[in-house]
Amino acid sequence: MKKWIVVLLLIAGASVLVFGAPKITWLSTQFRPIEEAQWVRQTLLPPFTQDTGVDVTFIGSEYAPFVDRLLAEAKAGKGTIDVVAGLQGDFADTFSAMSDVSDIAVGGTISPGIMKLGQMGAIQAYIPMMQATYLMAVNKKALAYLPEGADIWSLTYDQLLAWAKNIYDKTGEQKLGIPAGPGSLLARFIHGYLYPAFTGYQVIKFDSPEAVTMWKFMKELWQYVNPAAPTWDSMDTPLLSGDVWIAWDHTARLKQAFVEQLDDFIAIPSPAGPAGRGFITVMAGLGIPKTSPNREDAAKLIKYLTSPAAQVAILQGVGFFPVAEEAAGAVPSGALQILAKGVTAQASSPDAIASFIPGGIGNEYKKIYTDTFTKFVIQGKLVDIQYLLDQGRALREMYLKAGVSYPAPDNK
Amino acid sequence: MNNYKLQRLLGTDTLLPYWLLLPSFLYLLVFFMSPLVNAIGLAFRTDNGVFTMQYFLQLFHDLNFGSALKYTFLLVAIIVPVQLVTALVIALLVNTGFKGSRFFLYICTIPLGIADLAAGLIWLSIFAQHGYLNSALYSLGVINKLIYFISYHNISFVFWAIVIAEHWRATAIVLVNLVAGLQMISKDYLEAAEVLGARPWQRLRYVILPLLKPAIQSALIIRTILAIQMFAVVIALGGQLVPVLAGESYFWYSLYRSYHMAATYAVLLMALSIIITWFYMWFFRPKAGMVER
Repeated sequence: MKKWIVVLLLIAGASVLVFGAPKITWLSTQFRPIEEAQWVRQTLLPPFTQDTGVDVTFIGSEYAPFVDRLLAEAKAGKGTIDVVAGLQGDFADTFSAMSDVSDIAVGGTISPGIMKLGQMGAIQAYIPMMQATYLMAVNKKALAYLPEGADIWSLTYDQLLAWAKNIYDKTGEQKLGIPAGPGSLLARFIHGYLYPAFTGYQVIKFDSPEAVTMWKFMKELWQYVNPAAPTWDSMDTPLLSGDVWIAWDHTARLKQAFVEQLDDFIAIPSPAGPAGRGFITVMAGLGIPKTSPNREDAAKLIKYLTSPAAQVAILQGVGFFPVAEEAAGAVPSGALQILAKGVTAQASSPDAIASFIPGGIGNEYKKIYTDTFTKFVIQGKLVDIQYLLDQGRALREMYLKAGVSYPAPDNK
Repeated sequence: MNNYKLQRLLGTDTLLPYWLLLPSFLYLLVFFMSPLVNAIGLAFRTDNGVFTMQYFLQLFHDLNFGSALKYTFLLVAIIVPVQLVTALVIALLVNTGFKGSRFFLYICTIPLGIADLAAGLIWLSIFAQHGYLNSALYSLGVINKLIYFISYHNISFVFWAIVIAEHWRATAIVLVNLVAGLQMISKDYLEAAEVLGARPWQRLRYVILPLLKPAIQSALIIRTILAIQMFAVVIALGGQLVPVLAGESYFWYSLYRSYHMAATYAVLLMALSIIITWFYMWFFRPKAGMVER
């Protein structure tokens, strides 16, 4: 008797679940930490459910189970996942299971340059949702020394050099800062910013004449960088102490300067070189698997997550920056607003060259870039083409051995 | 083989000691020998288990290898003798038993309780751009613009800052060895020497130092091996400005995630430590005609 009651109750419960509100399942490698997952369920998703009546089951997943599950569902031809969120690397490995989402309406304006990053093979594999990046922070005191005709929202490296030189000539101080300590992100600056800006690529033109020009330029620029730079891992402290007026670093390592002295700093895009404005974007996006049971509602979620309101919520919740241009203006005033303005300006600049962080080849490649930097810039040796050729060969071998293709922008 | 035969083989009439030692032996095998062998293996074998010297080749061609070797040797060559002399002076001073000598000894050994990274950071806060030295010089009017002590233009300054910081931090290690050694020297010898007309300098040279040899030997071995491995103070003060072998091993692991290269540097360090220990043992070997205590 008792057993039958339990079975009946189970059937009743199941039918409520099945025939209840429309539900979609969202599998994501992002927002995995407990606090972030809580925030997604309690803060980010409720407005969407309220608006559209669609319930979302958020499942945070580690990279390996994420890939396994999507590939398995694609192989079976039948899936339970409606929408996925992941980094560009996650999509690269599950691309065969993804559908073309170029027809999905997005909630805000995403620049074509950014949208293009979601293209893999011949399809739009994912819609960009949020980005992390590195940019420049400027103390307003430095604006008085800006060279004629330079616009801080679209500086070139030559203008940056002239600016730093001007400050040095007028004040006798080296106020430019690029973190060069052992725990710094100098390697990112070299492979993701300098190389694409001067040569157009991260790897392909490592040892090209354009690279030689670039290294000679860096040697010249380094004269105006604060001599304590090789001891800095993070630029927020030198900015706050006034040792540096123009700094380059990751948004997370600049943020404290904006938080503490909001009115003193502005965040601007990194400079552009002869080949374009190279910058790194750590991009996370939203995709719909081919086997998604409920594509319509999944599309609604994507539209919501790319709308300015949700983009601002994501920035405040997890510190990843928006991709929708309207969002930058909608961020409440404060450190995040200033940073968001710089991030959006960098990402949507007409000469933007977005680079991805190399994946699948470990971390040894960083030493190739930083050793070259140490040799030519810190130790001051003459730019030696043979050394560049040797280093370039070693770098390409790393990709070859790992069987990994070069990252954007090399894989255009 | 039954128990009796085993006992005869080991020359003992009970196997109990060996049973008692067995847990420690297993512990050492699992937590000491096995990681050690694996780490050495990392330096000589590729991921596929193939024996190779490629990592050592890469080591010799590494941009920082030459400087790391040079600076490691220079640091050891300068710091260890200076510390030995300083520690000897302090030990002799303490040994005179002047009023407050115990308290003085405790103060001198305070740095022993500080982690070497903390010691490095203490000295960094002195030499940093906004550190104590600059502030003191600025407020005394000696300088009107902050000096960049720690900078790649001033590598020799960073080197000497490391020497000073290490000297401050680690002299205590040598000191406690020497103080213990001094206390073991029977006062009878010194009294006899004094009675026979030896002046203080002669007593030092012909009585104290020879009897102190074992203490000096053990202090030198310990201090030199620790000095070869020094890296926390170096990194705290100068980052990668002054490369040292242990620092390079650390960066290969933490920044570049290459366990093989980190292990290769570590094996080199181990080899150097062994060679230096052998050298000390040879140098301090008992010579014919000397009285051994």
